[in-house]
Amino acid sequence: MPFRRSVLLALPVASAALLAGCASGPAAGSPTPSASAAAETVTVDNCGTEVAFEAAPERVVTIKSTSTEMLLALGVGDRIVGTAFQDGPLPDDLADDGAGLTSIADKLPSEEAVLGLEPDLVYAGWESAFAADAAGERDELASLGVASYVSPAACKEPGYQPEKLTWDDVFAEITEVGDIFRVPDAAAELVDEQEAEVAAIEPDDRGLTALWYSSGTETPYVGAGIGNPQLLLDTIGLDNIAGDVEDTWTSIGWESVVAADPDVIVLVDASWNSAQKKRDLLAADPALSGLTAVQNERYLVVPFAASEAGVRSADAAADLAAQLAELDLP
Amino acid sequence: MRFSAVTAPDRTVPVARGAFLLDSLRASHLTAVGAGTLLAALLVVSVAVAVTLGPADIRVGDVWRSIASHLGLGVSPLSALRDGIVWELRLPRVLTAAAVGAGLALSGAVMQALTRNALADPYLLGLSSGASLGAVAVVLLGLGVLLPVAAFAGAMAALLATLALARAAGALTPARTVLAGVAVSSLAGAVTSLVIFWTATGDSYREILGWLLGSLAGARWPAVAIAAGAVLVVGIPLVLVARLLDAFAFGDTSAAALGVPVEAVRWTLLGATALLTGALVSVSGSIGFVGLVLPHAIRLLTGPGHRRLLPLSALAGAVFLVWADTAARTLFDPRELPVGVVTAILGAPVFALLLVRRRSRS
Amino acid sequence: MTALRADRVRASAGGRLVVDGVDVTAAPGTVTAVIGPNGAGKSTLLRTLAAVDRPDDGTVRYGADDAFALRRRERARLAALVEQDATTELDLTVADTVALGRLPHEGLWGGDAAERSGIVGASLQAVGMTAFADRRVTTLSGGERQRVLLAKALAQRTPLLLLDEPTNHLDIAAQLTTLGLLRRLAAAGTTIVAALHDLGLAIAYADAVVVLAAGRVVAAGPTRETLTPALLRAVYGVDAVLLEHPGTGRPVLALDLPGD
Repeated sequence: MPFRRSVLLALPVASAALLAGCASGPAAGSPTPSASAAAETVTVDNCGTEVAFEAAPERVVTIKSTSTEMLLALGVGDRIVGTAFQDGPLPDDLADDGAGLTSIADKLPSEEAVLGLEPDLVYAGWESAFAADAAGERDELASLGVASYVSPAACKEPGYQPEKLTWDDVFAEITEVGDIFRVPDAAAELVDEQEAEVAAIEPDDRGLTALWYSSGTETPYVGAGIGNPQLLLDTIGLDNIAGDVEDTWTSIGWESVVAADPDVIVLVDASWNSAQKKRDLLAADPALSGLTAVQNERYLVVPFAASEAGVRSADAAADLAAQLAELDLP
Repeated sequence: MRFSAVTAPDRTVPVARGAFLLDSLRASHLTAVGAGTLLAALLVVSVAVAVTLGPADIRVGDVWRSIASHLGLGVSPLSALRDGIVWELRLPRVLTAAAVGAGLALSGAVMQALTRNALADPYLLGLSSGASLGAVAVVLLGLGVLLPVAAFAGAMAALLATLALARAAGALTPARTVLAGVAVSSLAGAVTSLVIFWTATGDSYREILGWLLGSLAGARWPAVAIAAGAVLVVGIPLVLVARLLDAFAFGDTSAAALGVPVEAVRWTLLGATALLTGALVSVSGSIGFVGLVLPHAIRLLTGPGHRRLLPLSALAGAVFLVWADTAARTLFDPRELPVGVVTAILGAPVFALLLVRRRSRS
Repeated sequence: MTALRADRVRASAGGRLVVDGVDVTAAPGTVTAVIGPNGAGKSTLLRTLAAVDRPDDGTVRYGADDAFALRRRERARLAALVEQDATTELDLTVADTVALGRLPHEGLWGGDAAERSGIVGASLQAVGMTAFADRRVTTLSGGERQRVLLAKALAQRTPLLLLDEPTNHLDIAAQLTTLGLLRRLAAAGTTIVAALHDLGLAIAYADAVVVLAAGRVVAAGPTRETLTPALLRAVYGVDAVLLEHPGTGRPVLALDLPGD
């Protein structure tokens, strides 16, 4: 199993070495994620930064929900010494394991707040968490003996950002984190489980179009063509009206939305911007209230924490497919 | 005599003095009326063309027939949804752009006269930052105040702070006023950032970015009412008292010697500008360079007399912002740019050019 | 015909008392020169006489009227002020600038355009700037600008004319032309008060002088009786001899530093 992984990992890295060779410098070497024995060093090329794990991390600070949930799902939630910038409540199946976690910041934590916990790894869901005015630059953390890791799906570097996110990319992160924490069996089990869950989804075949409405009032912020929203929409058989935009998310004008008149609208439900708030806005606007999906209340709801690629993506896809099946469509 | 060629090429040979002067005054008057007619026509054409442009593919004739149907002429050929694109999204947005552009250019021209500073505009004196702060405070802190009222309060507070600071440093000179404006502007910007830092959640900072860079994406009919209402209620009186601004050309003493109640006029007109800026910022956020560049451009064309400058700047500002916003919403279709980015990209080089021309002349 | 009379005027500039109990009387049809060393308070006194700045104390009367009790526009129809070194950032044309002088008469809505252009033309001709009507004021030399500002004051058509160093920046011929113009205006009944730092011009053209030093009047009265060699030595620290121009009979001042 680990050997299969190394092949999968080597592909994006090789292209990255070509594209970003000078930018990533010495990091562009070939990774050796052979984790068959716990004593061997696991080295990964993470968004262009080479990180070596001589042993499984013991004290982890997680930033964003995806990283917290990944560790809980792999059964290594006890390594988390602090969480930050959580996007919402944990899903039911992880809630018990994560009940005792301590949050150190509602938003991005400062470098000092992070270092105060003496972590050996900072695991972030967004690359922007590693900045001087946030958790600290990756190089600087490394020089202090703190490893850093970003969900590969969230890499922004050319060559590292997935050209178009696939389930393989999502599962690769599970496997890679499993290697880093020396729990490859748990990772393999989780991947098998999720592969089965995704395979069981029957894509809708009615040729429906959809808008993935994340936030924004004047200019909506929507799921675009290459990120997690596109992956989930593809999986359940919906055609994304912003799918032509080569980005993970994007701002588009309402006129484009009205012109496309999607059959279904996926509403992202966040504590700070609820699905209900977006429903109200759509219903109250003179131009948007005429949309087919608004008039017929054809909404699917996805929790904000599940809108980014991670261990919740498979569940989210299954849940959206179930909601879609229940919609009253002509 | 370099500029006579620009303003009135037929005025270089004086005949009899009286007749010559009369001619020159008439000629410049006609030039202004001609330019005004031209700009007004250009504005009407711009609005008519801009509503036909957009990401949604709607035939030109259908767009106009749809608008006509809302004005009681005929029946809209479009489906209710596509009719909504024209009547609820495009037209109010284009009209708001015109009103905001007119108001910003007017505010800039008035402030330049009152502060005797060619670089003055609502941004320089901190009005826009203050208005943004007021608006952001309402949006993020959920204060129970109407957005335009909060923006006006912010603009007025910033103006008072700027003038108080300038006066505390000595007599109210243009240079001190501008420096005080920079200080107040920075402070208002910092407080705005603080409010955003403490309250922004998830990706709600995107909305704030729209505020800070300026955007007309949210303009519906209520925005038209606020922006156009402010331009009519505040702008028309400003145009009517334009001649007072000419009297400020050689400074306060000179204005006072011409019988102008300097302090009363300054405060009234600055207050009116704050009111106008507040109303505009509340619908569009901070859009830069319109108030700075267009009055300059008009001055080059027709000279600095304010009875000509104010109405012509307003018309030119309207035309300019209609096209800037059309570019913002169509250039990267279906994506949208904040219109403030477009005005800055277009405005900054023009402004630099004006600066260089100014220098080479003096 | 309006006389100017100021009594016990005390005025400050920049928070400092610079005019301290000054009396000035100027009769219609005369030119009164305010002279004195730099910093004597001449500019501040003129601004007060023009009723631009309210004095800390004292009164200014135009004829029988308290200048500060008049409506502003009325006041601007009685007295015009030519400032020293007034500049502008605006690209006004010379004709536009002179037309500003019509504001107190026309108000905001504008008056008779033909009347305005006639007065603007006459004012420009009076200062010899007719050919410059279409030039932008920002392109003029200091002397040209000074004459345009004088034309603006003339366009106000006031019985009182107050000038702060009207010959500044002017070449010698323009200086004499300007003072000749002031004399002609006086002959037509205008009351003229001008701050002058050139004693020679003051002696040659002013009917009366007010000599200021450190904000106080040191001497005042008819020019020839007042500007004595003793006074000039006391105020300016120079030795002076009054001669008579062999051709015109006008007084000419010969100055020397003491001990030369």
